[in-house]
Amino acid sequence: MFTGRRGRSAWIQRRDRRGIWFVVPFLVGFVLFMIVPLGYAIYTSLYTSKIIGGTVFSGASNYTQTLQSSQFWSGVVRVIIYACIQIPVMLVIAFFFATVFDLGVAKFGRTFRTIFFIPFAVPAVVGAVMWSFLLEPQFGPMVHLANAFGFSGTNFFSPSLILPSIIVIVIWEWTGYNMVILYTALKSVPRDVVEAAILDDTPLWRIIVRIKLPLVRPAIVMLVFLNTIGALQLFTEPLILSYFETGSVSANYTPTLYLYNTAIAADQTNLAAAGAVILGLVIVAISTASLLFRRRRGEFS
Amino acid sequence: MTDVKGRGDPAASQRAAALPGLRSDEGATREGRAAKAARRRAAETESTIPVELYGLRRGTVTLLTTLAFLFAIFTLVPIAWIVINSTKTQANIFETFGFWFARPFSFFHNFSLLFQNVDGYGTYIQWFGNTALYAVLGGAGATALSAFAGYGFARFSFRGSKVLFYLTIAALLVPITALTLPLYLTYAKAHLINSLWGMVLPSMISPVGIYLMRVYVDISVPRELIDAARLDGAGETRIFFRVALPLMVPGFMTVLLISVVAVWNNYFLPLLIFNINTRYPLTVGLGLWSERAQNSGNAQLFPMVVIGGLVTIIPLIALFLILQRYWRGGLLLGSIAN
Repeated sequence: MFTGRRGRSAWIQRRDRRGIWFVVPFLVGFVLFMIVPLGYAIYTSLYTSKIIGGTVFSGASNYTQTLQSSQFWSGVVRVIIYACIQIPVMLVIAFFFATVFDLGVAKFGRTFRTIFFIPFAVPAVVGAVMWSFLLEPQFGPMVHLANAFGFSGTNFFSPSLILPSIIVIVIWEWTGYNMVILYTALKSVPRDVVEAAILDDTPLWRIIVRIKLPLVRPAIVMLVFLNTIGALQLFTEPLILSYFETGSVSANYTPTLYLYNTAIAADQTNLAAAGAVILGLVIVAISTASLLFRRRRGEFS
Repeated sequence: MTDVKGRGDPAASQRAAALPGLRSDEGATREGRAAKAARRRAAETESTIPVELYGLRRGTVTLLTTLAFLFAIFTLVPIAWIVINSTKTQANIFETFGFWFARPFSFFHNFSLLFQNVDGYGTYIQWFGNTALYAVLGGAGATALSAFAGYGFARFSFRGSKVLFYLTIAALLVPITALTLPLYLTYAKAHLINSLWGMVLPSMISPVGIYLMRVYVDISVPRELIDAARLDGAGETRIFFRVALPLMVPGFMTVLLISVVAVWNNYFLPLLIFNINTRYPLTVGLGLWSERAQNSGNAQLFPMVVIGGLVTIIPLIALFLILQRYWRGGLLLGSIAN
C-alpha cells in the first residue's frame, strides 16, 4: 500500500501532528482558566496590601502567617477527622448494597438502585437546606422523632452533634453514587469464578470477602481517593447549616470556609491566596502519597 | 423495564449465549431499540446466578430486602418532606406535623411567589433562567471540548500528547477550592466579576470529561475505520464528525449529563464571582434566601426556600430517570478504566 517504511512513518507523523488541533481549544481554556489563575494566586500570595503604603512585596510572610494560624489548622484537623469517619461508613453501606444487588439476593434491586441514586441529582445546597429543616432543634420532625424514642432535649445542631449531622447529610448525598460505581465494578467479576466457588460449597460470605472484594479493590481505591479529595474541601453543608444555627459552625470550621471568609468577609485576598496554595499542596500531597503507596503495593495499575 | 434478576429465564440465557460481546452493546448504535433492550436484559440474567444456588438460610432475601427498603426510606425522607411542605403556609411549615399535609393548601400561592421579587433579594424565576443558561452553555461547551480533546488524545500521538494528557489528569488532583479562589482573585483583577462568561468558560474545562471521552474513544472508535476513511480521502474534521462522532454518542451523552449537572449544582464558583442577585444561579439564590430567612427576620422567605428547592431538583431528577442508561454506562467507564 505504501512505498516503504520511511514513506509510511512520514505519513503517520504528518497525520499525527494534525491531531493537536483537536486538543487546542481545550488547552486554551485550560491555560486561561486553570494555569493563569493558579499563577496569579501564587504571585499575589507573595504580596501584602496595607492601608498605608499600598501593596508591597512580603515574600513568604502570608505563608508563615497561615501555617502558624491555629484557625487554619483546626479546620484541617476537623476535616481529617470527618473524612476518617464519613468515608469508611459510607463505603461500607455502599459496598453492602452493591453486593446485595449484584448477587440479586434482595427483591426489586433495580428500583432500589434508582432510588438510592436520586440524591446525586440534588444540589448540595438544596440537600443541606432540606436536612436543616428536618434537624432544626425547635420545629424539626427529627427532633420530635428523637423525643418519641426517649432522647428528649436532643439538639442536632449542638457543637457535639453538628459534625455527626453533617456526616449523615453527606452520606445521604453520596452513598448512592458510590454504590452504583461498586455495583458496576462487581458486575464485571467473571461469572465462572463465582460458579466454581459455589460448586466447591464455598459459603457466600467467603465468596464476597475472598473473591469479589479483591477483584473490585481498584474501584474501592479510586472511591477512597475521590471521596478524600472531596471531604477535605467540605464547605457547602456546614455553611448552609450555619445559616440555621449560627453558633456551632465557626468562620474557620473547615479550611475552605476559612479561605472563603478570609477572602470575602475579611477581604484579605493575599492571605487567602496563600491559604489556597497551601490547601492545594496539602491535598495534592495526600492524594499523590496514597497513589504512590498503592502503586508500590501493586494495587493501582 | 422488567427486573429479571435471579429468575433465570432460560430463553434469555440462550439469547445471551448466542450473542457474544454483550458488554459493548452501548457502542452499536444501528440496532433496534427492542433488540438492545432484550440484549441488556439477557446480559443481566447471564451475569446473575440464580439465588437458590447460594444456599442461603430462609428469610435472608426478606431481611436484605427490608434493609434496602429502610435505606430507601432514609433516601426519600427529605424528598417527601420537601414535596409535602411545598403545599404549606409559613406558619404550618413549623407548627404542623412535618410528614403530613395541612390546611390551607398553599402550593399555588407559594409557587406564584417564585415569580416575584419578595423583599428585594431576587426573583427565583430569573435564577432558574440563569442556571439553565449557565448549565446549557457550560455543559454543551464542556462536552464539545471533551469530545474533541478526548478524540485527539486517543487517536493521535503528536509531540507532547502524553505529557499534555497527564497534565490534564493531574488537574483532577487539584481541589476545586484551590482553583476557584484563584479564579475569583483573577476576575477581581480583570473586572470579570458578575460576568456571564466568567461563569460559563471555566465550566467548559472538564478534565473528567476528557478522561471519560478518551477512554470511550479507545473502546468504541476502531483505528482501522479512521484509516479507511483517510484512504478514501476524507479530511480529519470530516472523519471526526462523520465517522467518529456517531460512534461516540453514548459517551458524549454521559459527559453531557455529568457536565450539565456539575454546572447546575455548582455553588462555590458563583458564590464567589457574583455579587448582584440578578446574576445568581439557583444554588446561590436559595442559599441567600435561607440565610436571610433565619438571620434577617424575613421569615416569609421560608415557604419560598422550600418550594424553590423542590422546583430546583425536579428537572434534574427527571433528567436522571429519563437518561438512566447513560449514567449507568458512564459510571461503568469510570470504574473499568482503573
